[in-house]
Amino acid sequence: MVELKNVDVYYKEGDVEALNDVNLRINDGEFVFIVGSSGAGKSTLLKLLTRERKPTNGRVFVNGYNLSKLRDGKIPKFRRSIGMIFQDFRLIPNLTVYENVAFVLRVTDRSRRFIRQRVPYVLNLVRLSDKARAYPSQLSGGEQQRVAIARAFASDPGLIIADEPTGNIDPELSYEIVELLKDINKCGTTVLMVTHEHDLVKYFGGRIISLKKGSVDFDDYIGGNDG
Amino acid sequence: MRCSNFSYLVWQGVVSVWHNRVMSFASFCILMVSLLLIGLALLISIDIGIIISNIEDTNEILIFVDEELSDSELSYITEILHSYRDDFVDRVVYRSPEEAWELERDNPVYRDFAVLFDSIGENPMPNTFSVSLWDITRMNEAVAQFYEIEGVIRIRAPYDFVEFLISIRNTFAIIGLAILAALIVVCVVIIYNTARSSVFARRMQISIMKHVGATNAFIRIPFFIEGMFIGILAGVASWGLTRLAYNSVVAVFEEDIMLLQIFGISNVIVFDDIMWLALAANCLAGALLGAVGTVLSMGKHLKV
Repeated sequence: MVELKNVDVYYKEGDVEALNDVNLRINDGEFVFIVGSSGAGKSTLLKLLTRERKPTNGRVFVNGYNLSKLRDGKIPKFRRSIGMIFQDFRLIPNLTVYENVAFVLRVTDRSRRFIRQRVPYVLNLVRLSDKARAYPSQLSGGEQQRVAIARAFASDPGLIIADEPTGNIDPELSYEIVELLKDINKCGTTVLMVTHEHDLVKYFGGRIISLKKGSVDFDDYIGGNDG
Repeated sequence: MRCSNFSYLVWQGVVSVWHNRVMSFASFCILMVSLLLIGLALLISIDIGIIISNIEDTNEILIFVDEELSDSELSYITEILHSYRDDFVDRVVYRSPEEAWELERDNPVYRDFAVLFDSIGENPMPNTFSVSLWDITRMNEAVAQFYEIEGVIRIRAPYDFVEFLISIRNTFAIIGLAILAALIVVCVVIIYNTARSSVFARRMQISIMKHVGATNAFIRIPFFIEGMFIGILAGVASWGLTRLAYNSVVAVFEEDIMLLQIFGISNVIVFDDIMWLALAANCLAGALLGAVGTVLSMGKHLKV
C-alpha cells in the first residue's frame, strides 16, 4: 500500500514548492497511471516513494514503511520491497541479461539454487530466455526495458514503480511493455506507472492520478479501449 | 551474507579489472610509479644514513695518561672507560708508548718525515687510550667525563669533524624526510584522484545498485577487491622495478673503488637480502592504497 498524507516538498535550491498538500492512497494490487506535464511534481513524487528524499511536511507510507522517519541504514531493506523500472533502463552494462536479473536476488541474499530457478522463470515471462547471455549493449531498447521489468519483478516485490518505462522505446512496443506490467499486476503486484503518453493511458484506462503544479488535479478511474 | 554471494562479489571485483581495463591500467600505472618512487626514496635515505653512520664510526678520541701509571692503574682506567659503554663509548683500545710510536711511524701522513722519527732518540709517546663513540653528539660530555679520570693528562678529540658530520646527518635527515613526505602526499593525492575518476565513470552502476536495495557494504566489496587486486599487481611490478633500479645504482658504486672507499658503500642495504620483505611491503602498501583509495572515493556516489 502507498499512502501520502498532507505531503509538501519544498526545494530550498531555486525556492520551489514541488508538491503541495498531496493526499493519496493506492491499495495493494492496483494499477495506477500517474500523469502530468513537466514540472507537475511527478519526479518528486517518485523520489519520495523510493526514499531518495524526505518530504518537507507530511507523511509517506510505502509497503508498511514510514518513509518520513526511515533511517538511512534501513533504506536498502525498504528498496528490496519495491521494484524500479526507469526510462533509461539502467541495466548494469558489464553484466549479462541473466546476471542483471540475478543481481537483485543476490542483493537480497537468495541462495544460488533459488537464483538458478527464478531468473530463467522471469526471463521466460518477458520472453527473453534466448538473450540470457547477451549484454545490454547487444539488445534493442524494447528488449532492454523487458530485462528491466524482469529485474524489477525477480524478487517478487509488493510494488513496482515504473518511471516513464515507454519513454525510450518505439511507440508500437510501448503497448507491449504496458501489457507486461498489466500481466505482473494480475499476479497481485501493485504497479505505479508514471507516463506522459496520454494515448497509452486512454487505451488501457484504469485509475489515473494527474498532477498539476505540485497538487493532485485528477484522481479517478477511466474506461480503456483494450477490452 | 551467504558464502556463494560473497564469492560472487569477490569474483565480480576481479572481473571488473578487465571490464574497466582502461581505468584499471591508469590506476595500475599511477600506483606502480608511486610505490617505485617511495620505495627508492626510502632505500636511498636509509643508505645515506648507513653511509654517514659508517663515517661516524671512524671517530677517535685519544686519551693520553700519565706514563708513571702502573699496570693495575691502567686496567682501572680501562674499566672506567668500558663503564661508559651504555652511554656513549663504542670501542676502547689501549696503546703502550711503543705501540703508539710504531703507529705514528707507520702513518702514511708522515711518510716523508721518516728521518725526523729516526732523529728522535727516546720514545716521546705516552700511554694512550683510543676511544670511539657510538653517539658522537655526546663528544663534549664524553671528553669532560674522561678528564675527571685520575691519571688523564690530555685528550685530543676531532671536534670539527664531528660537528661537520652531525650537521650533514641532520641536513640529510630533514631533506630525506621532506622528500619522502612530499612524495607520499603527492602519491596519495594522485591515487585518490585516479580512484575517483574510476568510480565516477561507474557512478550510474552504483546508483542502480542502490536503487535495487544493495547495502553500501555490498556495493563496496567488488570495488574494494578490484582496488586491492590492482594494488597488488602494481606492488609486484614496482618491486621488480625497484630491485632493478637499486641494484643497478649499487653496482655502479661497487665498480668504482674510489667511491666505495669514500662512501663506505660496502655496508649499504643489499636488496636481495630484504627481497621478500620488500615484496610483502610493496604488495601490502599497494593493496591498501588501491582498496582504501577506491572505497573512500565512492562515498558521495553512495548517497542515493
